[in-house]
Amino acid sequence: MAKLSLMFEDKLVKEVPVGGRPVGIGRSPDNDLPVDNLAVSNYHARVYFEAGRLVVEDLASLNGTFVNDLRIERATLHDGDSIHIGKHHIKVDATGDAPVPWDSGRKASAPRINETMVLDTKVRRDMLQQAAAMGERTQFAAGRMKVPTLIVLGGKVVQKEYVLTNKLTTIGKSSMASVRLKGWFKPPMAAQINQRDDGYYLGPGDKIPTVNGTPIAGPVRLNDGDVIEVAGVRLNFIYRD
Amino acid sequence: MRIVSGGATDVGRVRANNEDCFGIVAPMGLFILSDGMGGAAHGEVASALAVETVVKHCQEAENNPAAPVYGETRAGWNDRTKRLFSAVYLANKRIFESAEAHPEQKGMGATLTAAWINGPRLSIAHVGDSRAYLLRGGNLQQLTSDHSMVAEQVRRGIMTVAEAEQSEIQSVLLRALGSEPQVEIDTEEQELFARDVVLLCSDGLTRMVTEPEIAGALQSEPDPQRAAAKLVERANDAGGADNITVLVIRLESEYQGWFSRLRRWRKGANGNGLAGGN
Repeated sequence: MAKLSLMFEDKLVKEVPVGGRPVGIGRSPDNDLPVDNLAVSNYHARVYFEAGRLVVEDLASLNGTFVNDLRIERATLHDGDSIHIGKHHIKVDATGDAPVPWDSGRKASAPRINETMVLDTKVRRDMLQQAAAMGERTQFAAGRMKVPTLIVLGGKVVQKEYVLTNKLTTIGKSSMASVRLKGWFKPPMAAQINQRDDGYYLGPGDKIPTVNGTPIAGPVRLNDGDVIEVAGVRLNFIYRD
Repeated sequence: MRIVSGGATDVGRVRANNEDCFGIVAPMGLFILSDGMGGAAHGEVASALAVETVVKHCQEAENNPAAPVYGETRAGWNDRTKRLFSAVYLANKRIFESAEAHPEQKGMGATLTAAWINGPRLSIAHVGDSRAYLLRGGNLQQLTSDHSMVAEQVRRGIMTVAEAEQSEIQSVLLRALGSEPQVEIDTEEQELFARDVVLLCSDGLTRMVTEPEIAGALQSEPDPQRAAAKLVERANDAGGADNITVLVIRLESEYQGWFSRLRRWRKGANGNGLAGGN
């Protein structure tokens, strides 16, 4: 049978099985899992089986119910999930058979989390701050927060350097090109750099550019310090502080 | 340049209703796609309201360029980009206000990705996790950033692309129309060339069909309407877990080389009876 373990930091406070009727969670002592904390609403959330699935539902609590750090209204629980309520968390042990289903009175049994949802400003800010803190610890991300820049090493172009601000940066003679080439016989769109979630990718245009002397076969991810050559210009791709 | 376009939408194989919506105003070169969210059919209300508001606002501006521009546009943008930004700003406001006025619509929202093509200039305005792509020289390049939790984590280097694709929280958005009174709107301006293909699609396509497959389908099917239908079919074949909407916009050259131009010129000249030849 499935089981919920209420934890405060590393300490086990209370353990209850989830049976045929819902387990109430909240500050009021008549809950199955009473949580003694002012940040917790009197009747904060409940956990029950529905159509063979273990479901947690927030009861319009003030500070919200979080499953694996994601604020939910209603979500299907899996073994090993963690429900956060105030400063407490509840470990979910979903092994074992589902008991006789209890009708929650709701028609939709689709897990809430599969539906598209938008985080509100506060939760989003908190989560991104948390994510940013995590990101700072990884070296990979450190370069990402810096400004991607093309430094002109040689060839005729309009500026001495270019900060990549668009999703697509074009290099060519065209008047709308981000890096505008000067001179005769230059191609309108020599090469292009696409900003993707995991970095900047150089792709061919009318010409095949080289990266550090090697012609590219298709889009390649640019690394800090790479030297790009195309249509008579040399550009140094760097992540600037 | 000549623009040819086609669009297709489908409920998919899993969902009960189609909450996606799209709009094509071909004479204006205006293309809009919206993916709605919110239970009990309210997602459909939100996406339809989004598309309708953007179309109306842009059409009004065509007739009256002095029509008010909403939101904080930037001086460097071209007029179409400013107008599109204003339209999306307004769409957000409309959806938010509708949800405030009707308690049963609480929580409804929509993504919006719009493209406006004026000669060689492409303007894009975007909120959410629908996408705009540019197929050029065989490369499919994304012109929008997904405003989803997982994409943000990839951008911050916390998660890899592969991890994001497997994540259970792919549906969590950081931005959408209708969730707050104001929304941050991304814009992008690009120059288009003949043979470029612009693709707008909802996540029902991109979660089911890989980018190389999408690029392949667009290259092998020159007719935009058939290409859109083919991509919808691919997404359904892969499981059709969500609503699927695809808009394909192809730019064709009107210039056919100096020889045909010369011939056309001669024909035109003869036709006008002004030719001085024998």
